[in-house]
Amino acid sequence: MEPGTMLDQKQLRKVWFLSDNVLYREAVAFLHKLVYEQECDPLPTSQVTGLLNIALLLKYGELEDFIQHQLERNWPPGKRDIKILYTALEEVLGIMRRKRLKDEFHLLDGVSAGEIRRETDALMALLAREFIQHMVAENGRLAVELSNQRPRQRSK
Amino acid sequence: MNFEMKTIREVSLEAEICYPEVIKLGDHAAYALTARHRAQLTGLENIAESTFKTADILDYIKKQIARFNHWRKPDPTASNPQQGFGERLRYYLEEDLSLRVGRICRRERLNVGDTTEDEQQTRRHIRLLLMRQVIRHIVVQYEYRVSVGLEPQYGARDDA
Repeated sequence: MEPGTMLDQKQLRKVWFLSDNVLYREAVAFLHKLVYEQECDPLPTSQVTGLLNIALLLKYGELEDFIQHQLERNWPPGKRDIKILYTALEEVLGIMRRKRLKDEFHLLDGVSAGEIRRETDALMALLAREFIQHMVAENGRLAVELSNQRPRQRSK
Repeated sequence: MNFEMKTIREVSLEAEICYPEVIKLGDHAAYALTARHRAQLTGLENIAESTFKTADILDYIKKQIARFNHWRKPDPTASNPQQGFGERLRYYLEEDLSLRVGRICRRERLNVGDTTEDEQQTRRHIRLLLMRQVIRHIVVQYEYRVSVGLEPQYGARDDA
């Protein structure tokens, strides 16, 4: 969590609720869309480890920087799926931060103007961690499923 | 009886109805994981008992499916003999138990709606309690099976 920020019990309870009732389903759908509709490969283990480790730090700024860095990298053609995934992840988290956190999740109700920035970062760190944890778990499951099903169409 | 007590009672009653299927899951766990991987099942139980989120339990199962062959081992005696242990457990907890939570929340039982956030929080709590109870039963059945041995229809162990 961002240094100096302490979320109250009500906010934490709401985050757990969102994790179970909203983010879990959305993280699974997010990955299924990429894998089944856009025919992307699941993220490789090295990327999963890096992304999850950053998410677990609960420092949203660092997570944003990491995702930005990964999507701006000049990936070779065989790894274009990684860029697609990070681009989509940035979009999902961006919308969550700019709009859903306040308007849909109501997590900033009653937060003073002076605290908004810090609370937003702290809450986004938690929500992003939840989303990424669910996404990574589904990623591993799908990778196994696909290795049994999908013929190796693309050269790596 | 206060609501908390009623919840515990209804969850226990529903877990009892689940028992025959849960026994099969415990047997499947014993067949797939064997005594050698006991810590992975007690790990699941520890997560279930300590977490505040049902999704943490499902994430753990998915991670195990991804990491270990034995979590993907099917049960030749199951109605779906192609489905691995982890997938079967995940599906049961994720899909079947959701229906059972709906039954517990019916008007004639706990009478919990599904509209307001408070109601959905209560349903989430009930789901977590039911998952914990089911997992406890699975672990007990697993322990029993690995100690007394599997039923003959499983055939000889191929993973010794």
